[in-house]
Amino acid sequence: MFNRCVLPVVAAAMLLVTTGSASAAVKVFACEPEWAALAREIGGERVTAYAATHARQDPHHIRARPSLVAKIRRAKLVICSGAGLEVGWLPLLLQRGGRGIQPGTSGHLMTSDHVEVIEKPISIDRSLGDLHPEGNPHVHLDPQNMLRLAKVVSQRLSTIDPAGASHYAGRLQRFTEAWSAEMVGWQKRAAALKGQPVIVHHKFWSYLLQWIGLQEAGTLEAKPGIAPSVAHLGSLLSIVRTTKVRAVLRTPYDDDGPSNWLTSRTSIPVLELPATVERDAGPGALAAYFNQLLARLETGLGRQ
Amino acid sequence: MKQKLLYALAAPMLLASTVAQAADSKDLQAILKEVRDMKQAYETRIQSLESQIKTLSQSQSKVQAKRVPGSGNTKVKGNAFNPSVSAVVVGTATSFSRTASEFAGFGVGEEGERGSEGLSLGETELNFSSNIDDKFYGSVTAAIVREDGSDLVELEEAYFQTLPGAGLPDGVQLKAGRAFWKLGYLNEHHQHADDFADRPLTHRVFLNKSFNDDGAEISYVLPTDTYAEVGGGVFRGDDFPFGGSVSGLGGWSAFGRVGGDIGDDGSWRLGAYGVHGDVNSRASNEDAITFTGQSDLYAVDLRYTWAPTGNASDKELILQAEYFHRLEDGVYNVGSGLVSFDEDASGWYAQAVYKFAPAWRVGARYSRLHAPDVPLGLVGSDLDSSGHDPDAFAIMGDWTNSEYGRIRMQYNREELANNASDNQFFLQYIMSIGAHGAHPY
Repeated sequence: MFNRCVLPVVAAAMLLVTTGSASAAVKVFACEPEWAALAREIGGERVTAYAATHARQDPHHIRARPSLVAKIRRAKLVICSGAGLEVGWLPLLLQRGGRGIQPGTSGHLMTSDHVEVIEKPISIDRSLGDLHPEGNPHVHLDPQNMLRLAKVVSQRLSTIDPAGASHYAGRLQRFTEAWSAEMVGWQKRAAALKGQPVIVHHKFWSYLLQWIGLQEAGTLEAKPGIAPSVAHLGSLLSIVRTTKVRAVLRTPYDDDGPSNWLTSRTSIPVLELPATVERDAGPGALAAYFNQLLARLETGLGRQ
Repeated sequence: MKQKLLYALAAPMLLASTVAQAADSKDLQAILKEVRDMKQAYETRIQSLESQIKTLSQSQSKVQAKRVPGSGNTKVKGNAFNPSVSAVVVGTATSFSRTASEFAGFGVGEEGERGSEGLSLGETELNFSSNIDDKFYGSVTAAIVREDGSDLVELEEAYFQTLPGAGLPDGVQLKAGRAFWKLGYLNEHHQHADDFADRPLTHRVFLNKSFNDDGAEISYVLPTDTYAEVGGGVFRGDDFPFGGSVSGLGGWSAFGRVGGDIGDDGSWRLGAYGVHGDVNSRASNEDAITFTGQSDLYAVDLRYTWAPTGNASDKELILQAEYFHRLEDGVYNVGSGLVSFDEDASGWYAQAVYKFAPAWRVGARYSRLHAPDVPLGLVGSDLDSSGHDPDAFAIMGDWTNSEYGRIRMQYNREELANNASDNQFFLQYIMSIGAHGAHPY
């Protein structure tokens, strides 16, 4: 008899939850915190952005958990990196999302579709590891991309919420001006770091390396997504000795074993750089993130 | 450089051929104009060609620089337009301490019985799945199984479901065909995704491993900040816990579930389900027992996952439990005539699985059944549990090389009937060839 009561009770509870208030703000579902931050920069108080992941989470391996189903269900704009980064979980979530956020609609924004994607592999095979056929998806690490994407986000928000078009245009202009001003300083600092060889754990940092002009002397993962082998690490040892590698870069969620192994046998430091901004990052957080990245690299690598 | 060379060659040649025929200056002017136009046209074309060459060589050098060593030149594209195709190979080596282990107090279907001893290839699943068009998604899973010495194909799933483009209200999804319907956590999942080598006692007894009748199911995700989903289905009534559908519309279900996050790295889901239907000569215990009547089955499931570092691929704790309650009202025949029956049975399992390193997991599971009281006519039959509640304890450890390959060891101690403890060892491998559709949330 207990069971006969359960269903009606659950149903009634759900109806109660449904009748809760609906906010007028444009709901943005961002797969990664940087896109939530960008949406907040451009949208201001007209948007509420939810980041599906946080800065210490690897966006490759996220589960389509119940809370994400609820969040995407109500979203009017979905912003993700794309290029296969969220292939393990986003398609499943989208199946429960509204019509306005499906591929091909203005509510569906894959940032890698709007910038130049690097590292598109020529050949794909499972034995080569977890390769993205669409190229490197971590496009947020090039500050120039952020300028382009801010414009796209503003356009999308204006389409979804036409009443706020001038609001978005104004905020886009302010963001663009502030970002361009920051870029001048960043370019100078980047120039001072140019050409230094570094080793990366995973090919996460490629856009940053390309923008600054750092040289990638090797990756700890011989194949993307596959844990480094001792033999491969051994071969990196000789690279470190011959090319004067300045540091090993890793994200907070990369396994620290391989980089520690390498640095314990050489004198080069490990630089654990934040992969992105915090989940609830407000205005200014993106610029602060690039300042932080550059500052960490300057102390870690030393100016030339 | 190239432009100049071309002009140097082209211009005099054109001039020479035309000048000879030019009678007066007017003609000459026209010709010169023509030459200028041609020059202009060539210049534009050459410029565009040059920029094309530049972009091409740039992109080529980028691609080549990042080329994976040792790889061939063949480009294998993702299956953007073709279905995802996969085969899952599951094999086991088992050792049991008892020659037979039968449930006391329950009529059990063939799938619910203990697996075969020794080396065996379990179900080999073939799956095709893809979006059919902008409105529908489809998936077909066939299992190849060995039964009584021959390989048979069992259609596990063949269904389509609506996509958001189908025009149904937002949040509504319709699924029709044969599928692992929403009835607790495990039932919706393929067995190769399970955390243990065998299904818990509840699923073996109440669902004959899984409920995948022919039918249709509708579900609605509510537009709430907390996850909430309600739905229900109608079924043919041929599959356990039903059987022998007469009308072709013998069962229906309803469910509701809620879920959410706890902190940044924890997630939970709670659900309640019920399936109700007619049963007509449902055979169990190798056709020794038949049941005709009505069966109501209720389930409650709870699942909690926690990733200490935020990354489930790194470290993760999964706690999961399901409770089943069945009411059967009808007649049982155990070979000695019809005996009317109106009793409750129930069962539950609870399990904990902990991933302590990216490739390594350990887990423990306990399941227990409460057999129904039997009427006088069934005393002493297989349906008489003699007061014993079947239970089983399992521990497992598995190693996962990638999301496509896993090897598992498991030990079970089952006591399905009084004084019938069975010690079971499993060594299992699960290999996925190709990508299959994502598992439900």
